[in-house]
Amino acid sequence: MSAALVRLLQLSSPALPVGAYTYSQGLEWAVETGVVHSEETALDWIADCLEFGSARFEAVYLAHMIRAWQLEDGRRLAELDAEFVASRETAELRAETLQMGYSLVRLLADMGDFPTQHLVAFPEPSFPLAWSCAAAAWSIPVEDALAGYLWAWAENQVMAAVKAAPFGQTAGQRLLLQLGSRLHLLAEEARQTPIELACNYLPAFAIASSRHETQYTRLFRS
Amino acid sequence: MLACNNGGKAGWLARLNLEFERRATATILARRSHLGPLRVQKPLYPEGAEVCHTLLLHPPAGIAGGDELEITATVADGAHALLTTPGAGKWYRSAGAWASQRLDFAVGTGAVLEWLPQETIVFDGALANMQTRVALAEQAGFIGWEVLCLGRRASGESLASGALRLSTRIERAGRPIWLERGMLEGGSTLLQSPAGLAGYSVSATLLATGEGLDPALLAACRQQLPAEAGARHGLTLLPDMLVARYLGHSSEAARAWMTALWLLLRPAMTGRAATVPRIWNT
Repeated sequence: MSAALVRLLQLSSPALPVGAYTYSQGLEWAVETGVVHSEETALDWIADCLEFGSARFEAVYLAHMIRAWQLEDGRRLAELDAEFVASRETAELRAETLQMGYSLVRLLADMGDFPTQHLVAFPEPSFPLAWSCAAAAWSIPVEDALAGYLWAWAENQVMAAVKAAPFGQTAGQRLLLQLGSRLHLLAEEARQTPIELACNYLPAFAIASSRHETQYTRLFRS
Repeated sequence: MLACNNGGKAGWLARLNLEFERRATATILARRSHLGPLRVQKPLYPEGAEVCHTLLLHPPAGIAGGDELEITATVADGAHALLTTPGAGKWYRSAGAWASQRLDFAVGTGAVLEWLPQETIVFDGALANMQTRVALAEQAGFIGWEVLCLGRRASGESLASGALRLSTRIERAGRPIWLERGMLEGGSTLLQSPAGLAGYSVSATLLATGEGLDPALLAACRQQLPAEAGARHGLTLLPDMLVARYLGHSSEAARAWMTALWLLLRPAMTGRAATVPRIWNT
């Protein structure tokens, strides 16, 4: 067991105090409108968002950011960060990545385990930008980092489904078993994807996220 | 017109370059050049000299495998141009070669560009690469939409094969403010996915950026409801962009909804009432 694995567990843990648990990324609207109404439909929604959104876009950006941190390529990081923020297609999704990015930057700076002066200097750090900085500093292999990041995302979505639907905890674990089974393949694919092929076109997801802004009663901030 | 060699497949290479400039209070089409089957009609001024309306013509009526279209438009400082098309854009089934369309727009200080084409129909089996890039000055306005129809639904067709690659990037003063890339493969799970196209054959997006965007305008836009039963729609306001999306089966209903939004956005963003181009009614 490597030291990097332990760092990855810490970074991917729901105990990381960045407020991830307050966001559902449109899942709460999908529940409200009945698109998600069962364990099976929750799996469809989360698995597709995982594959077509988180893995094929977010994880690709994360991989390129980790490499750019390794190369200390500040210019490239600024480009990737600006593009990632521009790709967040609704007010809530954009606010989410900037709030979580800001919180993680503060946390990493306060922890003081590695130098963060370059990270702190970014005007609008997205969550993947801050996360990739820690992954690079802790020498986590890129593919492991991607799997950990996607796992944390999936776990957060399942916890949101458990609260919003609601489901029992066992149903949640069954969902995670299924979501987890393809994670290593998605991570491997994301690691090899050139940045210009990273895709974020998920119109029904985007509509759900934008409609969540005016949802009457809500537990989540996205 | 000329045929080009595109990966061994014959196709049309077509280029169109348009440069709009402001003269006193008028916008003129100061320069235009074209190569191959892309044209513009004589500029129209249905709302006076300030706004230049221009109709883009593609006489072959559709885009076939191997075709490459490039349209560049520059709207210089203080000018205001509206570009539209006389009918639906069509991407035909391909025998194996990709077809591409590249839109490259630049909008100067105090200038406005409206890109309001009629719907785009992607035939089953088409291989379509659509790229759009908009470079805005610090103080520039842009309103653009895209109404995508996947397959000719009226003839019972869906996008069962082929592929559609989308890429849209909008920059203000060199910084990206909007980035969207998509890959829709015929028959893929993304087309049926509840988070993807959710089985809908029409996906439309309106993007508006510039002065005058605020929560009150967003709220007014949210009062506009699509006429198509079962369609989904959503609006959001980013720091520098209003985004409206539509998923349904009727391109007419999608266009009607986006036109209703445009009638609200246009005056708030440019101070000029919106006049629906007559070509849309024919």
